[in-house]
Parts: sequence; C-alpha cells; structure tokens
Amino acid sequence: MLRRLRYWVESAKRSEALREEMELHLAEKAAELQADGMTAERARAEAQRRFGNVGLKHEESREIWMTRFWSELVQDVRYGCRTMTANKAFSALAVLLLALGIGANTAIYSFIESILLRSLPVADPESLVVLNWHSRPPQEGNEEWVHVMHGVQGVLWPGDKGAMVSGMFPYGAFETLREENPVFSTLFGYFKGRNRNLAVRGQATSASAEYVTGEYFRGLAVSPAAGRLIDSEDDRPGAAPVAVISFATSQNCFGGPPHAIGQSVLVDNIPFTVIGVAGPEFFGVDPAVAPDLYLPLHTNVLVDGAGAARMYGDGNFYWIEMMGRLRPGVSMAQAQAALAPRFHQWVATTAKTDGERAKLPALILNPGAEGLGSLRRQYSKPLYVLLAMVGLILAITCANIANLLLARAAARCLEMAVRLSLGAGRFRVVRQLLTESLLLASLGGALGVLFAIWGVGSLTFLLSNGPENFTLHAELNWNVLGVTAALSVVCGLLFGLAPAIQSTRPDVMAALKNGRGGGPRRRAQHVLVVAQIAISFLILVAAGLFVRTLNKLHSVQLGYARENILLFSLNARQAGHRAPEIATFYANLRKRFESIPGVSSATLSQSSIISADRAGETYRGTMKIGAVTIAGAGVMLAGPRFLTTMQIPILAGREIDDHDQPGSTPVAVISERLARTYFGNDNPVGRRITFQDEKRDLEIVGVSANLRYGGLKEESPMTVFAAASQFSPDRVTYALRIVGDSLRYVRSVHEIVREADSHVPVTNVVTQAAEIDRTISREVTFAKLCTGFAVLALLIACVGLYGTVSYSVARQVGEIGIRMALGAQRGAVVWMVLRRVLLLAAVGLAISVPAALSASQLVKSFLFETPPNDPGTLALAGVVLLSAAILAGYAPARRASRIDPLAALRHE
Amino acid sequence: MLILRTLSLRDLHGYGIVQFIQQSSDNDLLVEEGSLYPALQRLELNGWIDGVWGVTSNNRRARIYKITAAGRKQLAVETRQYAKLTLAIARVMGAE
Repeated sequence: MLRRLRYWVESAKRSEALREEMELHLAEKAAELQADGMTAERARAEAQRRFGNVGLKHEESREIWMTRFWSELVQDVRYGCRTMTANKAFSALAVLLLALGIGANTAIYSFIESILLRSLPVADPESLVVLNWHSRPPQEGNEEWVHVMHGVQGVLWPGDKGAMVSGMFPYGAFETLREENPVFSTLFGYFKGRNRNLAVRGQATSASAEYVTGEYFRGLAVSPAAGRLIDSEDDRPGAAPVAVISFATSQNCFGGPPHAIGQSVLVDNIPFTVIGVAGPEFFGVDPAVAPDLYLPLHTNVLVDGAGAARMYGDGNFYWIEMMGRLRPGVSMAQAQAALAPRFHQWVATTAKTDGERAKLPALILNPGAEGLGSLRRQYSKPLYVLLAMVGLILAITCANIANLLLARAAARCLEMAVRLSLGAGRFRVVRQLLTESLLLASLGGALGVLFAIWGVGSLTFLLSNGPENFTLHAELNWNVLGVTAALSVVCGLLFGLAPAIQSTRPDVMAALKNGRGGGPRRRAQHVLVVAQIAISFLILVAAGLFVRTLNKLHSVQLGYARENILLFSLNARQAGHRAPEIATFYANLRKRFESIPGVSSATLSQSSIISADRAGETYRGTMKIGAVTIAGAGVMLAGPRFLTTMQIPILAGREIDDHDQPGSTPVAVISERLARTYFGNDNPVGRRITFQDEKRDLEIVGVSANLRYGGLKEESPMTVFAAASQFSPDRVTYALRIVGDSLRYVRSVHEIVREADSHVPVTNVVTQAAEIDRTISREVTFAKLCTGFAVLALLIACVGLYGTVSYSVARQVGEIGIRMALGAQRGAVVWMVLRRVLLLAAVGLAISVPAALSASQLVKSFLFETPPNDPGTLALAGVVLLSAAILAGYAPARRASRIDPLAALRHE
Repeated sequence: MLILRTLSLRDLHGYGIVQFIQQSSDNDLLVEEGSLYPALQRLELNGWIDGVWGVTSNNRRARIYKITAAGRKQLAVETRQYAKLTLAIARVMGAE
C-alpha cells in the first residue's frame, strides 16, 4: 500500500520513466534489426510490430500500480477542470447559483435549528419537563376565562382548540407538587424578575434578574464557573441575601469569575453577596432571556417590598413557573398521569364559588429539553415562511442548473458522438460527465459554505434589530451544512446523470451527421423554465406583499412626531428614590435636559408612546365619567410639555405643564376620540374623569388629537393623559426634541444623570424612529429578506430563460437562415423568438397565480392592511416577471435577427 | 518466473531481459515484447525486483532491474511449483 502511495505521488515521473524505457526498447530492437540488414524504416516498423500497442502497454503498466478507477477519476477531474475553464461563464454561473441556494438554505435552517430545535445546555436535557396548565376549550365561541385565577404575572398563550395555556402557577401548587413527588427527582420553580438596578462598587448598570428556588441549579444539573450555586438553604425567608451572576456579568463587572466571589453588590439598593458564577454557556431556561442575575426566590420580598410576601399565600395568584426532572425510567405520560390528579385536587381547594369550580385549569407536561418556548412561539412561523422561500429558491437553482447542464449536454452531443465512435465505453463517458457535474456541485457547495457563514451573521443582525436583549446566537450548524452539501452533490448527480445518459445513446450516426443536438430535450427544458417562472412569481408576490405591508406601516398616521426625538429611560426607584421625592427628582432632571444646547423641549412619560401597552405600570382600573364607565381607553402618564415635544396638536384647552404639581388639582388631557365618544359635541374641558381604584377625580384641562398609542397596527385608541408628577411612576422615559445627530446628546444626558445620582443607570437610549421601527422589526426584516430573495429568484429565472432561448436560437440558425433568405423581416424573427418566451412565461404564470392565491393565505397574519391576494401586488409581480422575461429573451432574439442567411445556410 | 530467473543471473534493463530470454530459448519463446513492461511493473509492485537508473552497454540511460531477496524466495517457490507441474504433466504424458 505504501509503495502504491509513493507511486501515486510520483506518478508523473514514473510514467515518464516508463515511456523512456519503452522508447529505448524500441530503439534497441530497431538497431538490432537494422544490423541484420533491414532498412531503418522497416526495422522501426518491425520493432513496433513485435512490441505491440505501445500506448496500451503503457496504460496496462500504469494500471498495475493504480486501480483503473482512480487513474480515470484523476483524468476526469482534470478534463472537467479544463472544460470548466474553457466555459467560464457557464461554470461561474452554475457555481454561483448553487452557492447562493445552498448558502441561503443553510443559514436559514441553522437559525431554525438554533431557535426551534436546540436543547438547553444542561446535563441530560431530555429528562426535563415543563409544567403548564390549560383551560377548557371555549364552547360556542365564548372565551373561557379560568375564574379561579384572580391575578397573573406572566403570559398566557393560545393552545389547542382555542384553550388558554400558561406556565404560571400559584406558589401553593409548587409546594404541593414538590412534596413526596414520585415521578420527579427534582421539581424547581423560577420567575422573571425584570430588569434590576445592579450596583457594583458604585457603578450602576441594568441587569435582568431571575428568581429561582433552591432546587433550580440542582434540578438543571449545572455546575458553577466559580464559587457555589444557590441551594435550598439560601432560599427561605430570612436567609442571608445571596446572588449568583452570569458568566458575562462577572466579566463585565468584576473582570472574571474568581474576582466576583464574595463581593457585595446592590440589587435595587438591597445588599446581596455574590456566591457564585454560572457557567459560560448557561443561559437559564428560556433561550429568549439570558438573566444576568439569579436570586433566591424568597429574596423578592426584600427587593420588591413586603407586598410581594402576599404572593406566597395567595392560591389564586399565578406567578411561579415550574420545571421538573423525571426520575430514571419514568416517562412524561406517566408523570402527567401521576401529577394531574394532584394538581386538580389542589386547585379545587382554591375555588371559592361554583363558577370558579366549573372551569378549573388542568395540568399538562411538555418536554423541557428545548427550554421555554417564548422565542419559539414568536419566531417559528416567520422562520418557516423564510425556510419555505429559501427552499423554493433552491428548487429554482436546481432547475436552472439542470437546465444549464441539459443545454450543455446538447451542445456537446457532437463531442460525445465522436468519443463513442472512437471506442469510448458508454459507461466511461457517462462517468466523465458525472464527474464534471459533481465537480461543479462541490465547488458550488464550498462557496455555499462561505455564503452560509456570512448569511448566519447577517441574519442574526437583521433579526436582533427587533427585541432588546436578543440573546440568541445562531451558529453555523455543521449537520445542516452536511445535509445541504449532500443535497448539492445529489443535485449534481441527478442533473448530470439524465443528460449524460441521453447524450450517450448509441445513436451515434445521427448525431455525427446532424452536427447539432437532437430534439426531445427541449420539452424537459421548457418544463424546467416554466417551473422557474412559476416559483419566481410566488416569491415575487410574497416580496410584494411584505413590501406593501411595510409601506403601509410606514405611512401610518402616528399622530405624533417620529423624527428628531431622543428617548431614554430611568428607574430611580430601583436606586432608592421614593415618592414624593421621586417626582421632584424626575422634574428637576427634565428641566436640566431641556437646558442642553440644541434641545428645544424635553418631556417624560411612563414609557415611549409606541410601547405604552407593553411597558405596564399604567393605571388599569375602572375609569368613569360621571356614572358612565369608559371602555377601551389607555392611560399615559405624561410630564410637562408632552404634547409640544411630541408635536401632538392641542385641539382645546391646555397641555399638562409645570404647574401641575403633586399637591395641586389632578388634571387630565383626553384624546379627541374619547371626547367625541363620551362628550359628543360638548366641550369636555372643565369636566371630570374618575379613577375609581385610586379614588381620584381628574379635571379635564385639554383635548389632544388622536394618536397611535401602543403599537402601529392597532387603531388609535382613546387616550387619557394624566400628569406624571401626580401619579409618581417608578420608571420614566424621557423624550428630548433635538436638532441634528442624536448621538451628540447622549453624552450630556449621561453626565446630567450621573451628577444627579450616579446610582441611576440610563437605559434604552434610542431615537423615536428606531423605537417605532423596533415594533415592526419583523415586517422590516421580512420585506428586506423577501425583496432580496425575489431579486435573486428573478435573476436566476431570467438566466435560465436566457440560456434556454439562446440555446434554441443557436439550434435554429439554419431554420432562421432559410426564413430570412425567403424574405422574413428582422422584426418577424425577433417576434418569433419572443413569442416563445412569452408563451413560456404565460404558462408559468397560469400555473402559479392560483398557487400564489392560496399560498398567500398562509402569510396573512404577517400582513398589515394588505389583503393576501392584493390584486395590485399580483399585477405588479406579473408585470415585473413578464418584463424580466422579455428582457432575458430579447438578447437572443436580437442575435437571431442578426443571423446572416448566407452564413447560416452555408454552415448547413 | 522467466524474468526473475533472468534477473537472478544478472542485472538487466528491459530490452536486455527480452533478448536474454529469446536467446536462451533459441527463439522458441517469442512473446509480444511490450507485455514485458506491465509484468515488470507488477514484479516491482510486489517488491520482487527493484529498478534503478543506470547505463546500458551502449551508453544509454535505462532502468536496470535487480532481483531482491524477496524475489529470490519467490523464484524458488515458483521453480518448485513449476517442477511439480512439469513432472505431473510428464507423468500423465508418459502413462499414455
């Protein structure tokens, strides 16, 4: 074997040596014969005759060393490279197309894998289960609320048959299930602790916290990077407050895990001791949120105030999430069968009325290996849509490559016929063609890898534009890459094989005589072109719909200024400020911000307008005007000059200003719609709104124009602006009306806040436009990606069309020559070619319009004010496609019309 | 076997081997001369002979083949087998 290998390495030298030996042999033989009296020529010929076939012997000798397969493979690859370089345009095109197809697919699929399929980075994730409950499915279209749930802190999402599903439980349920649990080795709980003010050595940052029970880290079976993790001793009322921080936090705040241990930190001004650092790859149980800080569950009483203690005893308040680790040998179904009755029994005791008893929630278990599904719920559908699109693009690519290979095989028909007639084996020729297409495919695959790496990076960037703290880092998945690479090879094999077999049909004579390719391949080509056109149309329609959606979203009448506003948030309560001082603190800061040169006005509110509904902390109780309850109005706590800064027109009265102090009359400004709805044509200024839960009457001092409040897609709801100073929110968002580059002001803002109180971190610094775009990030991403895909698909389809038409024009040179010789006009020839193009395009369209109509229903939920079968979009896509087709067909058509009849006929 | 036998007497280049075989068999064994080369390659692959560049009697560069120790062993084996075979054939022919 070793000798073989050495031979292989030196094969060229060896081959040369062999040749030289044989030459010598012939020469000596000839010399000997000549000495015997033969003429030089005769002697040479006789020597040759006695020797036999020199080339064949040479080959045979070589084969002794190398198996025939390998030597021929080397030959084929060499030949393939030569044909590829000889046909640069074709090869470059094919490789590029394949690379794009493979790369895009790998990138998107890697993403899907990391979001939807990847397991938690903990030991034996398969044995983890998440505990959820679901309500009874709604009957007769009525939404069924779980009446036993009086309050909830967390999310509910729709489950099967319209039932509500949630992962939140009362603490009592956790305690009950934890005791003597026969199916779980551990059951642990946790809940999101929102963003906290984390002060390390006087430096304040905002950190996301997770409250965890003592069993949490043991249940997940993770080990610390340093120190120890929270255990049951740390999680009981009155225990010394300790914290575990994430690996990243230890690096950012302490310069590495070992330095963090034993350090004292302030979490919302409450002292905690860092006892450990979690491992670098650990991100908690929800891939969507990577907590910076893990606190024992019971410390929430310290951080959130004594009110939080009530949560533990309240059996009707749902707040804690649970995960369990199955005992070895216990299946999830067994665990559910064991636990569901226990939960039912417990939850029945919390029901106080018959109405509550009738609609009790039921426990269900879900696999916990993938962690909690918030990202999955949010991103799975968009990603599947993208995957479908990319899959379509790959299909077009394959069709195109097939087309190119077909056309080329036809063009090389003569070559093949010559080879066959010279005695090449059919299998040998097919193999050589296969090698060539495989070569193309593997080159495409290699380039595709590069493209995929780039694609994953930019996709992360595109998607992470959206939610803050997007912690998902998709990596290129090598399995996926393997699959797509295999796909490219199979693609090469498949599309190399068909034309190869066809072109080596033993009908050599016909091909040799004809000189140009034969007939039936045209149909295959036409089918492929039609398929490409149909698929491109689908993608074009999708792109059109998403772009239209984006346009609609951008042209939504906000009712307030989008540009030249800088937003940032402060939470002074977490740094120890309390009412009523906190109101003054915020008010003074506002005045100082307003004095920054270039800031024309500054205001504050409890959140940005666009995120108003999600930010919470507004008044959600009943509001009344006299005896009438106001339904469907949002409350926005606004500071002085809010309407001016946001450029919301004041229709009557005045806006909230500096005179509205904590002690003065509570005031409100209402939006026009609210005024119209509840006051008709009367002037509401001077009338009163009652906030019943707060037992306060607010005097209406002004009426503002309507605005899109809390999201772009919702209709402008009715809005009540109340004075922030009179309600003292914990957290406020400042808005500065600025001139020029917003970055210039960020530094001044930081300085002013640091001077006022260095323990208050400035968070969420963002321009109003970016803040708004963030809420439609998915639409922006979709529009961008789909437009890209559509251009790509169109390009590929046009290339395919161009190739097919060029090829058929080349084959019809003779025919066109005769026509022109007989007096056909150039225009007629162009039309003859274009007619075929249009026919192909029309057939493609005819197939894909119904497909588009039904497929667009699938993306309905991603659209905004755009019907899924928007006729404008369909028409536009059709026009774009047809013009592209004509463009692609025109070049070869023109070439056809330039055919010189004389030259064409002479050639024949 | 013939090549090994030839080389066991002296080192030779390809043409020399053919000449030697033809001469020593009084031209009774006339093979297609080219077939020698695949055979030489096979022997070299098996490690029974070794070819090095040298100079022929009339001063031309050529590969001179030498028999190796393994080659001699192989020659012995083949000679024995051949002897057995010819003996067996001779017996059969003699018995008739």
